[in-house]
Amino acid sequence: MQALRIAATGMDAQQKRVEVVSNNIANMSTTAYSTRRAEFADLHYQQLRAPGAISSSTGLIAPSGIEMGLGVRTAAVSVNHEQGSLRQTGGDLDLAVEGRGMFEVTLPSGDPAYTRDGAFKRTGEGLIVNSEGYPLAGDITIPEDARSITINNNGEVFAYFDGQTAGQQIGTLTLTLFANEKGLEALGGNLFRETEASGAPIPGEPGIDGRGAIRQGFLEESSVDVVQQIADLIEAQRGYELNSKVISAADQMLGSTTQIR
Amino acid sequence: MTNTSYVALSKQAGLSKELNSIANNIANADTAGYRREGFVFSEYVRMLEPHERSVSQTNIGGRFFDAAPGALVETGSAYDVAIEGEGYFVVQTPNGERLTRAGAFVMDREGQLTTQEGHLVLGEGSSPIALPPNATNITIANDGSIAADGAPVGRMALVSAEPTELMREGGNLLRSTGELTPLEQPKLRQGFVEESNVNPVMEISRLIEVQRAYEMGQKLLKDDDERISKTVEAMRAR
Repeated sequence: MQALRIAATGMDAQQKRVEVVSNNIANMSTTAYSTRRAEFADLHYQQLRAPGAISSSTGLIAPSGIEMGLGVRTAAVSVNHEQGSLRQTGGDLDLAVEGRGMFEVTLPSGDPAYTRDGAFKRTGEGLIVNSEGYPLAGDITIPEDARSITINNNGEVFAYFDGQTAGQQIGTLTLTLFANEKGLEALGGNLFRETEASGAPIPGEPGIDGRGAIRQGFLEESSVDVVQQIADLIEAQRGYELNSKVISAADQMLGSTTQIR
Repeated sequence: MTNTSYVALSKQAGLSKELNSIANNIANADTAGYRREGFVFSEYVRMLEPHERSVSQTNIGGRFFDAAPGALVETGSAYDVAIEGEGYFVVQTPNGERLTRAGAFVMDREGQLTTQEGHLVLGEGSSPIALPPNATNITIANDGSIAADGAPVGRMALVSAEPTELMREGGNLLRSTGELTPLEQPKLRQGFVEESNVNPVMEISRLIEVQRAYEMGQKLLKDDDERISKTVEAMRAR
């Protein structure tokens, strides 16, 4: 009985949805986390009668074919790179991007990775690193005797020294765009990597050519809408139940079939 | 077996197909743009030997494709588009142009609008829709025209099709066996995705109906079997 297998694909899809929702809820307080959504597509169809087939002994041609669906599959888990709200922290290395664009950090392997999590720290050598200790691209070293640093909306980093009123520019941050941000591969730790689907990175100055502005002293919150997620969770749970109901009905019918003498 | 059993079995076979279609509808209850399906059963008159009378059985005579629109759900994503009312998006697949109502689109690496599976979404004149990669504000108007930061970049092709001429291909794609006509007055909603038009309550009541009808068929088969064995029994006793 195919209905058993069809309903099983439905249960599998709803289970994936619950997994995606639980990951969203688990990350509701993760800086700059983007909400994921499971997208489904119908599976293959079996043709019971081709369109245009002769439908009767009198030679009538059937106007439409008949096909039977074989269930559902998860087409994608898409990342919605939507702007999260900004939370003021006051930290001089807490940076939020208002608009599109990602910071580039260098992985220990030397490869670049991209993130919107702007909670940066300073190392003993004055390097700017992310929470995992990966350095921010651009080779900006904060001088040891700097009193404070300011980062403006265009990513220019200024260091202020004792006895000087004007700041000294020590570097510029870049933001990177991708043609298809949804095609980036998530590495965990709020990091993403370029893929065949995302397109090549397009680095550039913040605030121009579609890139967002940098806000110093702010962090981007996750874009998870908890109410929406709970509603989704309930929907997925009910969907799972409906599919399991089909399984038990199909099982019962199959059971009575085996009793035909 | 007797004719009674054949007739009852044809009913059982049909019911199990009907169950498959219910299972497929429920499995796809959360598939964007999915359209509810079902079978229509018809009498199928079968001629027996020339001197005998004909017997009528049941057979799938057609199918129905419920073209009623599904509910629109707000997603906030700029590339999610839902069609209000009738109409289909046109996408380019390796097997030719196909139709879909699943409007959760993405941009590919060249900045072209594609489906989740990577099929290009076609604009007017069957050309793909290319968006500048550094655009910050993509707007899709009611009539399908797309603008990037205020500058027009193209217009989505939208067609209407006869539901009876649509064949399903999986992956939210439909193939039309008939003529396609451009949609007169498209009504699009950006930031929304259309849900499937499956009504779970209706599907479950159909499920119960099928289950009970199957039980009845089973009883008929059993009764017929008993009738035959009683006849055989009676004849043996003579």
